[in-house]
Amino acid sequence: MKLSRKRRRLWIVVLAGLGLGTATALTLTAFQDNLVFFLAPSEIAGKNPGPERAFRLGGLVEAGSLVKDTTADGRPEARFRVTDGPATVPVTYVGVLPDLFREGQGVVTLGKLGPDGQFRASEVLARHDETYMPPEVAAALKRTGHWDPKNGAPPPAASWNTMEPAPARQGS
Amino acid sequence: MSTPAPSSPRPLASTAPRGGGLHRFANPGRFLRLTDRLLPWLWGLAAVVLGAGTAWALLFSPPDWQQGETVRIMYVHVPMAWLAMGGYAGLAVASLMSLVWRHPLADIAARELSPAGAMVTALCLATGSLWGRPMWGTWWAWDARMTSVLVLFFLWVGHAALVRAFDEEERGARAGAILALIGAVNLPVIKWSVDWFNTLHQTASVTRIGAPGMHTGMLYPLLVCTIGFTLLFAALVLAQVRAAVMERRLRQGQLAQARRQEGAA
Amino acid sequence: MTQHWWHVAIAWGLAALGFGIMAWLAARRHAAAKRRLALLGPRERRLG
Repeated sequence: MKLSRKRRRLWIVVLAGLGLGTATALTLTAFQDNLVFFLAPSEIAGKNPGPERAFRLGGLVEAGSLVKDTTADGRPEARFRVTDGPATVPVTYVGVLPDLFREGQGVVTLGKLGPDGQFRASEVLARHDETYMPPEVAAALKRTGHWDPKNGAPPPAASWNTMEPAPARQGS
Repeated sequence: MSTPAPSSPRPLASTAPRGGGLHRFANPGRFLRLTDRLLPWLWGLAAVVLGAGTAWALLFSPPDWQQGETVRIMYVHVPMAWLAMGGYAGLAVASLMSLVWRHPLADIAARELSPAGAMVTALCLATGSLWGRPMWGTWWAWDARMTSVLVLFFLWVGHAALVRAFDEEERGARAGAILALIGAVNLPVIKWSVDWFNTLHQTASVTRIGAPGMHTGMLYPLLVCTIGFTLLFAALVLAQVRAAVMERRLRQGQLAQARRQEGAA
Repeated sequence: MTQHWWHVAIAWGLAALGFGIMAWLAARRHAAAKRRLALLGPRERRLG
C-alpha cells in the first residue's frame, strides 16, 4: 500500500508527537523530586537537608501558633508553627509578612533548620487557597459557625458560591 | 511586519485546494469575502462586551475577603492566561494544517498569531507579578507554574522571530510550524503543573471538578471579561490575517501588472 | 490611592496599552492594505 504524501506527513507528525510526549512525560517523572517548590514538615526527616542548607518549608500556619513581636532594634518579628498534619516545625522570621499571611493559610518559607529544631526563615511567602469570596459571605460563614478560617479550608464551594448574605449591620 | 518579502510568495488563489470539507475555507478570496463584513461587527462586539466587563470588574464586583481590592487584577490575569494557552492551541492546529495539508491560510494565521500571543502571555506574567507582590510577598518565584508560563512566552517570541527570519516565507513557515508543535507539549505541563508539583501558585478555581471555588459575584464578571478579551484578541488577529492576505494579493497583482506592461511595450 | 489600587490600575493600564497599541496597528495595517488593493485594477485584484 502506498500512502499519499499528505497521509505520510500526518503520520510523521503523529509519531514525532507521540515520541516527544513520551519523552517529556518520562523527564517530568524523573525530575519530579527536583521540581518541588517546597518541602512539607513531614518530608524533612526523610530528606534531612542539614543545618547548613537553605531550603523552602511549606505547609499551613497552625491555628493559635502565631506570636507577633518586635526585635530589640524595632523590627517586626513573627513566630509560628508550620504543619502538614503529621508533623509540625516551629518557625521564626524577622521582617514584614505578606498580606495573605494568617493562621490557617498556606505558607512557603525559605530558611535553614537549626540543630534546635527551629526553622529560621529569611523569606516568608503566603500561598493563596483557590477560593474567592466577598467579605460578607466569609463573615456570614464565620458567624453561622460553618467555617473558621484558622482551622483550614472553607466548606464545599457549592454551599456558598451563590450565597447572598444580608450586609452585616454595624454594631450588631 | 508589512515589508514585502523579496522572494515571490506562494500564489494563493491558483493553489487553493479543490474539494470540500476544511478546504472550502482555504480559498483566500472566499476568506476575504466572508470576513469582510464580520470584522467590523467583531470590533464592535469586543468593545461592548469588554466595556461592560471592565465596568463590572472594577466598579460593581465585591472585593475579596482576604485579597481586598487586589482581586481585581484577577479579571485581567486569568483571561490573559487562558488566551495565552488557547491561542497557542490554535497556533498548534494551524501548524499541523500547515505541515500536513500545506494549507496556505494556516501559514499566514500562524505568522500573525504569534505577536498577539506573545503580548497576552507577557500581560499574564506582568499582571501575575503585580498580584504576587502584595499577596504572596514576592514578584516572582521559580515554581513549576510560573516557569512553564515563562517558557510559553519564549515559545511565542521564538515563533514570531523564526517565521520572519527566512528570506523564503515558506521555509520560515515550515520551521515555525515545527517549533510550535514541539512547544505544544508545554500546554499540559502548564495546565497541570499546580496539581503535579507543589507550587506557590494556587490550583484552578474555575475549571475544577465540582463547583467553582469562586463566588458568582466574581465569577460572572470574570467570564464577561474573558469573552470580551477573547473577542478583541480574535478581532485584532483576524485584521492582521486579512491585511496579510491582501498584501500578498497586492504583490502578485503588481507583479502581474508589471509583466503585462512589459509585454505591451 | 492605596498600594492595592495602584497595582490594580497598573495591571489594567498595561492591558489597555498592550491591546490598544496592537489593535491600532492591526486596524491601520488592514485599512492600508484595503486601500492599496482598491487602487489596483479589478483584473489584478482577481489574480492574487
